[in-house]
Amino acid sequence: MIEGRKILGSVGLGILAVFVIVAVLAPYIAPYNPHQMSRPMEHPSSRHLLGTNDIGNDILSEIIYGTRVSLFIAFVVSAISMLVGTSLGLIAGYFDKLGFVIMRVVDIFLTIPRLPLIIVIAASMRPSIWNLIAIFLIFGWTMTARIIRSEVLTLRSRYYIDATKMIGGSDCYILWRHILPNVIPLVVVQFIMEAIHVIFTEAGLSFLGLGDPVARSWGMVLHYAFECPIIYVSDVWMWWMLPPGLCIVLTVLGLTFVGYALEETLNPKLKSPAYGRGL
Amino acid sequence: MHQINKLVYYFAILLIILSINFFLPRVMPGDPLSYLSDPGADMPARMTEEKRELLLEYYGLDKPISEQYISYMVGIIHGDLGWSIYYGAPVLEVILGRLKWTLLLVGTSTAIHVPLGILLGATSAWARGKKKDTGLLISILSISSFPSFFLGILLVIFFGIKLDLFPINGAQTAFATYSSPFGKIFDILHHLVLPATTLVISHIGGTYLLMRNSMLGVLGEDYIMTARAKGLSEQYILHRHALMNALLPIVTMTAMTVGFLIMGTIFVETVFAYPGIGNLLYNAVLYRDYPLLQGIFLFITIAIVGANFIADTIYVRLDPRVKNE
Repeated sequence: MIEGRKILGSVGLGILAVFVIVAVLAPYIAPYNPHQMSRPMEHPSSRHLLGTNDIGNDILSEIIYGTRVSLFIAFVVSAISMLVGTSLGLIAGYFDKLGFVIMRVVDIFLTIPRLPLIIVIAASMRPSIWNLIAIFLIFGWTMTARIIRSEVLTLRSRYYIDATKMIGGSDCYILWRHILPNVIPLVVVQFIMEAIHVIFTEAGLSFLGLGDPVARSWGMVLHYAFECPIIYVSDVWMWWMLPPGLCIVLTVLGLTFVGYALEETLNPKLKSPAYGRGL
Repeated sequence: MHQINKLVYYFAILLIILSINFFLPRVMPGDPLSYLSDPGADMPARMTEEKRELLLEYYGLDKPISEQYISYMVGIIHGDLGWSIYYGAPVLEVILGRLKWTLLLVGTSTAIHVPLGILLGATSAWARGKKKDTGLLISILSISSFPSFFLGILLVIFFGIKLDLFPINGAQTAFATYSSPFGKIFDILHHLVLPATTLVISHIGGTYLLMRNSMLGVLGEDYIMTARAKGLSEQYILHRHALMNALLPIVTMTAMTVGFLIMGTIFVETVFAYPGIGNLLYNAVLYRDYPLLQGIFLFITIAIVGANFIADTIYVRLDPRVKNE
């Protein structure tokens, strides 16, 4: 079933590539400026392929620009989280005393439920993309730090590390040249996990009305649609709710598939006889 | 010794949560009242001078910070979570009034979720590598890609509006008179179907994957091979040897699942206007009712951490191997 994983991985990459292209080329693809107003609540037509919303913005353009917001937040948060999480994980795994302190902090962060705290903080700040990114970063690094640390703990007891020490390799050199390259695959998988988490949480926060009201993400489009009193009365939901919702689903699905395909190459346990025939 | 350590740890966590709750409104830009009294802010609920006074008194912003902290802690011990601006009642009273619906929703969902997740996970692992396993895995990964609120909206549209099978909001029919107590129970269950289904479907992935992994691990153990070598039937091995051992991690998971389900109610209750704590949180956010928002934060967070603590304690008793580590 290794082949199956590869196919899923390619499908996932394909989906993600489409969204990234849409995000980058948004100003060229979108038929209108998402803030430009025309007649409100128009049904889909050749002028507005997905109609217009309650204040007359073109919904298709809103969704295309929303791709930018959703992906940007997910990418920035995951990238910084990985940088911080990996650095702290490396330090915590290699230096025992510092590691003890860092891991107690991680334990506390992981015990406190993320979502309620994120909601409370988001509600007390003025909603903007940068504030959302800052809030997600509070928790983003923790799981990665823990996973990287436990990997470093096993790596550093290998013979080649001892050998490097004996010929006078410094701690920095060992961490950089011998340990970091070995944890990179894990970091990639964690990056995908974090991106999925951020896309979900950002969509959820925005759905509750805590997203950036100007630079609207997919979740924010859904929030305004949900708040519209006549959303269920006619078929408006078909072009106002279904498309942004499916964008979220497809992005997460793409990430899940890619993560799943990578897992097999990275987790040697899956190759053992018990798992061998497993997918 | 181990248990005492754990108790100290969870007590520290509780103290940290209470402190976050205390400092959050005080370290945010401006004070808790500036947003509410800022004429430029788009505030649905305007505050009267009288309510402002109540709020000022609760936060006690004119006193030194240490004194504020002590009176806050004393207040918490007495169950004083402040005064809700929007509902005009004590926060704790407002929360407790909604509690039963959330308990009903989370309880029902857990009762369906856990056995279903175990069944699907075990089935998948038992058929590892076969079409059944692949199909289940891909379907469940796909379902898990739906945010719960979007899934809820889709269920509302198809089963509530298109097919008109289930009511789409509330926990019971408003102003209804029932001819018998069964009528009322039926009405409540009827309203429960869609929200509970949404909650179960959107969270089933976690339990399924954990059970599948756990079972795959057990199936690779030597004692399974021994059982096979003894000529025991596949059914017997599945039930007596594999399932029982694979279930251990699920115990911890169930408590965590309850935590996830509680968080999930924030979205699901919002979509279905289900009158529980999650829906209350949405209103608190919408009306920027900070004392209420913080009260709910405290309530939910302590419930989840409490569930984890219980799981931690039970697990050690179920699996003696943990104690030796």
